[in-house]
Amino acid sequence: MNDESGHTDYRNRDYPVREDMAHQVKVWRFERWGWYTLVLLVVLALLGLFSRGPLSTRDVQGSDGKVRVQYEMFHRNGSTNPMQLSVIGTPDAMVELELSGAMLDGFSIESLQPEPIRAVSAGQGMKLWVQTDAQGRANLHLTLRGDGVGLFHSRIASPGATAVDFDQFIFP
Amino acid sequence: MDSVLRAAAMYLALMVLFKIAGRRSLAELTTFDFVLLMILGEATQQALLGDDFSMTNSMLVIVTLIAIDVGLSLLKQRSQWVSQLIDGGPTIIVENGKLLHKRLRHARLIEADVMEAARSSQGIETLDQIKFAILERNGKISVIAM
Repeated sequence: MNDESGHTDYRNRDYPVREDMAHQVKVWRFERWGWYTLVLLVVLALLGLFSRGPLSTRDVQGSDGKVRVQYEMFHRNGSTNPMQLSVIGTPDAMVELELSGAMLDGFSIESLQPEPIRAVSAGQGMKLWVQTDAQGRANLHLTLRGDGVGLFHSRIASPGATAVDFDQFIFP
Repeated sequence: MDSVLRAAAMYLALMVLFKIAGRRSLAELTTFDFVLLMILGEATQQALLGDDFSMTNSMLVIVTLIAIDVGLSLLKQRSQWVSQLIDGGPTIIVENGKLLHKRLRHARLIEADVMEAARSSQGIETLDQIKFAILERNGKISVIAM
């Protein structure tokens, strides 16, 4: 737009209305860059920056691979997203899972399936005992509802396995 | 507290978005614009009220929105700068029967838009009968005949 500013179209007119073309050019430039920003936001939303998409869906394991967490990195306040916890232990036995960190501050657990055999509170978080199958695996499906706003750091641990640390961000 | 913050944030966000969309965007409502407006209303309503459907909350939101609106109009009255920032200024797009093409392009208008306004407001048939066509602050095109 700058190279064209000498064009007569960009000169101020005083009659019949008083113009401020310098300001008007700025407004047009704002509209143009605003439009690029909107397109960028749409693309980022499609990629999952605001939850549910390749940028947001994470699958992490401890270094020994015994604890695995599938979760959404980005959440929105008031919306629900699934989380899956998997643990490998002794076949047909009880295995302990500890959820700690800020997870319970930022989220409320809407559902927990299958129901753990036992659940107790432990410090800021809680401990759950689940039954493993014949292969020694146990899965726990959670539905999380984002209640807070901001970054929340959490940790899933099981005795005899490397713990998994992860961060989740909740948008307003 | 959050009702007031929600309303203020939505007011600001919508104002920036409609500034990006330009003054023409909702000035001449087509059927589709009307549907778009309703969808915008629905989406905004959810964000404004959240899951609190109490009368107090809705009154707080309305009071906040009106307070900001009145406050801004008072500010516009006092400061020329704020007025121009929020409302912008009029732009001449036809001068003595000649289209100012660069201005039209930036305003995302075509000759047909100008002629439509000329026909409906002044019964003008051709471009050379127009002395001035002005894109007003509210997005409407006003036409002055030769």
